[in-house]
Amino acid sequence: MFTPIGDAGRAELVEKRLTDAITGGHLRAGDRLPSEADLARTMGVSPVTVREALLGLRSRGLVVTRRGRHGGSFVSDTADPLVFARDALRASSRLALRDLGAHYGALTMAGVRLAARRAAPPELVAMRARLARLDTDDPGPWRQSMDDLQLELVALSQSARITRDQMRLQAELSPLLRLIDVDPVQRGRQRALFERVLEAVEAGDEPAASEATERMVDETIHALDALHMAQDEI
Amino acid sequence: MATGLTTAPSAATATDITQRAADAVALYFAAHLPRLERHAADMARAIGAHAPGTLTASRIDDLIEPHAHGILDHPHEPVYGAGFIAAMDLLADAPSHLAWWQGNDRRKLVFPAQSVKQAIDYRELEWFRVPSTTGAAHVAGPYVDYLCSDEYTMTAAAPVVVDGTFVGVAGLDVLVDTVERRLTPSLRALGRPILLVNGVGRVLVSTDPRFASGDVVRSGRLEVVARQRCAAVDLDVVVAA
Repeated sequence: MFTPIGDAGRAELVEKRLTDAITGGHLRAGDRLPSEADLARTMGVSPVTVREALLGLRSRGLVVTRRGRHGGSFVSDTADPLVFARDALRASSRLALRDLGAHYGALTMAGVRLAARRAAPPELVAMRARLARLDTDDPGPWRQSMDDLQLELVALSQSARITRDQMRLQAELSPLLRLIDVDPVQRGRQRALFERVLEAVEAGDEPAASEATERMVDETIHALDALHMAQDEI
Repeated sequence: MATGLTTAPSAATATDITQRAADAVALYFAAHLPRLERHAADMARAIGAHAPGTLTASRIDDLIEPHAHGILDHPHEPVYGAGFIAAMDLLADAPSHLAWWQGNDRRKLVFPAQSVKQAIDYRELEWFRVPSTTGAAHVAGPYVDYLCSDEYTMTAAAPVVVDGTFVGVAGLDVLVDTVERRLTPSLRALGRPILLVNGVGRVLVSTDPRFASGDVVRSGRLEVVARQRCAAVDLDVVVAA
């Protein structure tokens, strides 16, 4: 949910949130943004603040506004999550990425461990079937599907707090993972590691689930780190 | 004082207890489900008035909003969230859509920036899948509802059907916290520890100190003294040895 920002004059925060949605691929090229009134109401800011934020997004080419019957604000056709991901990677440091990895790893391991303890086996059967059906040749829906499954898994911990934290960290990490997703070998590797996690959770094996999760996150962060170093070499 | 009992007192008492517990649970959900089904029928009429393929997300929001508020305005039971979740490709301008209002301030659910929710495919989620395949209302949970409430939740959903075609579900969320607070007094009054479990054996409410909400009761681990299915919901009352 959008948590209310409060107070007038927070156009920059509104702009940042919408930018994150676009760069994270959650609002896709051509998608219509919620109406100004809805955004204002949900974020707890004035419509004027929302309008200011949209102005900023338009000037950066992220959003276009159309008037008339089918009017509204739309994500620009040129908004590309991969471009943004590369910029985000460049803007970050190796240290920051590894620390994000440590935080994400710690939380995900805790969530998966609890899931191993508290999940009902039928819940895992359905998830494993969906993972098996995932087309490794198609990078498009890949990231969304993997994020979905990862979140669904942590939700099996039965902890709302842990799940909320997982969502926040996934939102931070997920845009960067698109840079790794472009490599089909990496996608195949991720699928194999995640399959091991699901197997362990289905068996109720907490140490194995925890270890498999740590392995998966470590490999992911290692791949991002390698990409970051490769960028410096250009 | 009970007189004239010919069966062993503890076994008869356990069966009697599970029946009374099941009645209390059925009564609780009877405060929600028929209302929800009436709103589902009204939503179907409103949606049916539009030619197929002409409904937009914003039009559906306008149609559903009064119903969501109607569901939230329960005279005596707290309801956390309510609305309509569309079948895939029902709408002209979006492949999927949730028209949902929730929270004390009845906020409209608008998909946010810092989360993966925008893309979640809800077709496989129990509260959507079961009504879409069975054609009947269903209560799902307890589960962490990361799509709407972000809390530990029970979701009741009834299919919305227009001219024999499934177009989505009418839903309502009740926090597990609420269900626990509403049911615990009447369950405790029965005098024996009770478990209320769902279709996969997950505990919704427990007055048995050995089990907490969210635990999965594995049949091997438990000696069941008495078990009773609750009317109209896929929940069992269990007394364990």
